[in-house]
Amino acid sequence: MPLSNSKVADDGSSAQPQREGQAMVDSLTKVVACYRHLASCIGGSTDSTSLRQELRQTREHAQTLAVSCRNHLTARLRDKTLSEEDRKETELQWVAFSSCLELFHADMCKVYHMGSCFSVAKKSAMVQTGLQGGATEVAARALSMPNLQEQNGEQTASMEGLDQSQLEQEIAQVDRTLEDMEMKVNVLRWTVEAKGPQYADPVSVDSASLALLSGDEEGGFCDRSQMFVLLMLCGVALVAVVLSVCVVYLA
Amino acid sequence: GNRRFYDSVVLEMQDPKTGVKSQTQRLVITTIPHAITGEDIVEWIANRFKVGAAEARAMGTMMVAFGYIYPLQDHKRLIIKPDASLYRFQTPYFWPAQQWPVEDTDYAIYLAKRNIRKKGMLELHEQEQYNNLHKWMNHKWDFIVMQAKEQYRAGKERKKPDRVVFDCQERAYWVVHRPPIIFTQQCIMRPRVKSSVSIGALVKYSTTYKQHDPFLYPCLPSNPWLTDDVTYWQLNMQNIENPTKMRVERWTFSFGELLSDPRGRDDFRLFLKKEFSGENLAFWEACEDLKWGTAATMKEKAQQIYKTFLARGAPRWINIDGKTMEITVKGLSHPHRYVLDAAQTHIYMLMKKDSYGRYLKSPVFKETQKKAVAPEPHNFRLRRPSLSPIILRQQEEEQKAKLAASGPVDITQLCRFTAPVPHLAVYTGICENQSTASPGLMTLPNSAACPSPISVAIDSTPASERRFDSGGTASSHFPSIAESAETSVSEESQPPPPKSRVALSLSRLLRRGCNAPSVFASLSPKCAVTAGGGRVQPLGEPLAQPQPKRIANFFQIKVDIPPECRIYPIDSEDEEEESSGTARGGVKEIICPWESVTKHDGAG
Repeated sequence: MPLSNSKVADDGSSAQPQREGQAMVDSLTKVVACYRHLASCIGGSTDSTSLRQELRQTREHAQTLAVSCRNHLTARLRDKTLSEEDRKETELQWVAFSSCLELFHADMCKVYHMGSCFSVAKKSAMVQTGLQGGATEVAARALSMPNLQEQNGEQTASMEGLDQSQLEQEIAQVDRTLEDMEMKVNVLRWTVEAKGPQYADPVSVDSASLALLSGDEEGGFCDRSQMFVLLMLCGVALVAVVLSVCVVYLA
Repeated sequence: GNRRFYDSVVLEMQDPKTGVKSQTQRLVITTIPHAITGEDIVEWIANRFKVGAAEARAMGTMMVAFGYIYPLQDHKRLIIKPDASLYRFQTPYFWPAQQWPVEDTDYAIYLAKRNIRKKGMLELHEQEQYNNLHKWMNHKWDFIVMQAKEQYRAGKERKKPDRVVFDCQERAYWVVHRPPIIFTQQCIMRPRVKSSVSIGALVKYSTTYKQHDPFLYPCLPSNPWLTDDVTYWQLNMQNIENPTKMRVERWTFSFGELLSDPRGRDDFRLFLKKEFSGENLAFWEACEDLKWGTAATMKEKAQQIYKTFLARGAPRWINIDGKTMEITVKGLSHPHRYVLDAAQTHIYMLMKKDSYGRYLKSPVFKETQKKAVAPEPHNFRLRRPSLSPIILRQQEEEQKAKLAASGPVDITQLCRFTAPVPHLAVYTGICENQSTASPGLMTLPNSAACPSPISVAIDSTPASERRFDSGGTASSHFPSIAESAETSVSEESQPPPPKSRVALSLSRLLRRGCNAPSVFASLSPKCAVTAGGGRVQPLGEPLAQPQPKRIANFFQIKVDIPPECRIYPIDSEDEEEESSGTARGGVKEIICPWESVTKHDGAG
């Protein structure tokens, strides 16, 4: 489920590919963010076969997204009929996309390195980091699937080896992509001007995730206080009415 | 320390049997396992590596400083406290690694996330960093904000205790790699001077001082190093009555310039005297004396200054503010060189802001300015208008004729009271063309077309007449020349007839003395000079060879008179010496005009 972005223009047909591009970039950002969370669990107390599986799946999903995003954006940039405003938008998306990809590349390298140090199959010592639960929900978010089955199968050393080599290949691939993007696409990154706010708006974030959260003490506080005040007032009013009635009665 | 080493150490500590004991951390809403105490860590390290407690603590602190372990309380101080303080192992993702540099992008994302969580309440240093990053990573900012939001939301997917742990891990990572030490950050973000400002200051300085720079502008009347004319130095002497205009102009540049020029300071002192505030300058000067004076008299000087200027009811009491006075008096109980610095600076600033301005408008200064000398630039064409070489030669010849006519009279020796005028020796006279040099005379092998008069004179001077013990011009080749000159002279010169010494009248002496400059003028750059082995033609044939005459003009005059006939106007000592050397015969007395002492040693 791609998140809607307030920046997206609300006009006609030309906005469609624009919105597509934005949606793709947003998805990729989300997946990369989740990948980072997963990567931070490697070598820790929750490192397991399932974590590695989740990592792999997330990575593969990110790769597909990256490829489609790149194709879309390069096509857009090559389009000479693009209006100035659209071009600027596309360039912004391009910068976001390349930064995302760089982040992803860095994380992949780290995962590869740590994977070779901390092998699940060989039952190497893991660091007691204090984590308890798995990161399945995070992976589910990344893959945009409401439920993710926990992998129960054991991973053998050879499987792990395969996984590692595949990871290596993918790292090389992303590396090449990044290089191609740098060389062949004529977008001067530093000339692109950011349109968004300097600070991420905390309120908007919280309201969006309210539905996902359960029992979060931060949310809904304002509403509750307002309700409370209202109730108080009503109570006071009632008491006043009752008192006046009593006075009338007694008097 | 070696990162790999610590990697392995941390893994060893994980061992359930031989590793560090772990306990559970109790928080308000949840419990989190895998907490370790500082004392356990230190004890484990001490046992494992067989080191003392202090070293174990140091090792532990290293691990915390690198980021392998982070404290759960007091998270900003990266040290091991060997007590029940709790620590936890950092996840390998956040371990320090050289192959991946710590990225600013990540830090920006972290700060943005923190901002979200704390609803805009970042710490001061974080705020500064955030703004800084926003400035130079502006093109990525949309991405950073977006990524921060996504990471925040992804974090929310995790269970509460895990979320807490992850937040702690991340925070610990950034404490290590972006330490919140205000001092260093202030150093980094200290406002720097804009290059436009500093260049502006340079330009201003250059414009002000350029006309006073002898490399850029000619100094008046002329640069002594170029023209050998020392008028410039004479005009700019320390205690001169009327300074030059340029010098006075310099005083207007800044107060420091005025004070550093002694003549300027004198002028300023005069002005202050008229204003009855001379004690300020006197105090300042006394402080300078204290600062730069000998250590032996320092204490006394300081006490004297205090008695004269600072004490209540002092004869020359200076007006400084209470605080400075307090500091100074306190410092004077243990006086040192700089004890009066604060007071001195205060007085300096007072003078600079107040008296200096008034001085520049005062009649004293205006008077000085009016009387200031503006020397004419050195006229290279009319160097010595009265001493044209042609005229000089004529004069010399006349004199020679006179001498010849008037008999073996007098001294050709320079009056020792004739002040040497060295520059004349250098520049007056023209070079004779070497082609007409007499065959008997050899030119100096290394002489240029116009050899320096020093070498000319000295090289031609027989050793007997020269004084080398004055040390000024002695060099290795002189003795040899002298010797060879001596030998050749003694060989070839005819023994002059013995002549009686004739007393020279003072007037003649003076005349001779006055003519001496002309003599020098004509002499100096003589090209066809006698070489080391050269000899000076005796005056026997003065007219036959005009060339040698010219060269030996200087010497000829002397050659006339044999040593015993020479008159030494003052010193009888010399006479004695001279008489001992009479046996020489035909010895030329050469006195270098710039040597004020002309003692003749017969010994040579």
